[in-house]
Amino acid sequence: MKSVSLNGTPRTLGRRGGSKQLRESGRIPAVIYGKQATPQNLEVGSKEFKDLIHRSVSETLLVDLAVSGDPRPKRLALVQEIQHHPLSGQVLHVDFHEVAEDEKVTINVPVETAGEAVGVKTDGGVLEHILFKVKAYGLPKDLPEVLLVDVSHLKIGMAIHLGEIPLPAGVELIGDKSISVISVAAPRAEEEAAATTEAAGAGEVEMIKEKKEDGAEGGDKAPAKGGAAPAGDKKAAAGDKKAAPAEKKK
Amino acid sequence: MALMPDRVKYRKMHRGSRAGLATRGHMVSFGEYGLMALERCWLDTKQIEAARVAIARNMKRHGKMWIRIFPQKSFTKKPLETRMGKGKGPLESWVAVIRPANVLFEVDGVTEAVARESLRLAATKLPIKTKFISRHRTA
Repeated sequence: MKSVSLNGTPRTLGRRGGSKQLRESGRIPAVIYGKQATPQNLEVGSKEFKDLIHRSVSETLLVDLAVSGDPRPKRLALVQEIQHHPLSGQVLHVDFHEVAEDEKVTINVPVETAGEAVGVKTDGGVLEHILFKVKAYGLPKDLPEVLLVDVSHLKIGMAIHLGEIPLPAGVELIGDKSISVISVAAPRAEEEAAATTEAAGAGEVEMIKEKKEDGAEGGDKAPAKGGAAPAGDKKAAAGDKKAAPAEKKK
Repeated sequence: MALMPDRVKYRKMHRGSRAGLATRGHMVSFGEYGLMALERCWLDTKQIEAARVAIARNMKRHGKMWIRIFPQKSFTKKPLETRMGKGKGPLESWVAVIRPANVLFEVDGVTEAVARESLRLAATKLPIKTKFISRHRTA
């Protein structure tokens, strides 16, 4: 993974209000942490960072972060997490994980497919992407931005497992190597589709049934209401307590 | 099977709150494309089913579809021309509580054009504004 340069400045505005002010002024609140130094709050340019994401294949990035006022000219860091607004998708916060060039790290790498599977093209099967991200371990410079998997040879019922993904030198994948990452499933049978629609029609009947069942359960509620008896006992006990001081007064 | 819970502890529920944005179920998690809600509402079983059928018909049994919402909540309605009081009305239907940013449906295994058209048709069955999103970017 090639590193790209990014400028950042130490952040003084904190908390919710401060972060809000920053975002309104076209900056993104960020943080950098790692083994090398103590965590530091930063801010980066919104436009600069968005351009960086748009130009890259995935959100897994290696950046050369130049923090103004820092004795080190550049700090090598991985983009650990990007928080997005759930509705607008706007970047809210960025986590940078500072790494050493000679230190092996684990990151989530997206898996993408290349080519069209034979099972999909000729037999009408469905390409199932089971794992969208896999954990890769290696030196930051060796780690790929994205793992491209050729699926053109896949027939119906075949799958590519974690152990079969081609990797660059010096990188290994973490996890059970027999897990399926991409597979081709058989096309949905017509009977199955018909069954779904039939069952959907029968839904109303089931609801009536459930109502009846619930009615029966209502009978079960009786003991639950009866379960209020202990509460009644408590009241009674409380009543006794009240009665007791009255007796004392006497 | 109709969309409703198999078994519930209590049939009749409080109305609850629909405030805020969806902080869960707001990303495309299973497929490649999705339909995101931009408004809040209660989606009932019939609406969800109508949207599902619209997607299935347009995709012509190609690809795969996920329904990301489930009507967990029951709602009641008093019969017509009934005086107030005499307890909560009988069960009317089951609904899913939808907040803005909820992903309602996801599709995969079809081209973007087919996915767009399928989800557009599904959106016409829903009482809220929605938008088409993909795994890689928000559209």
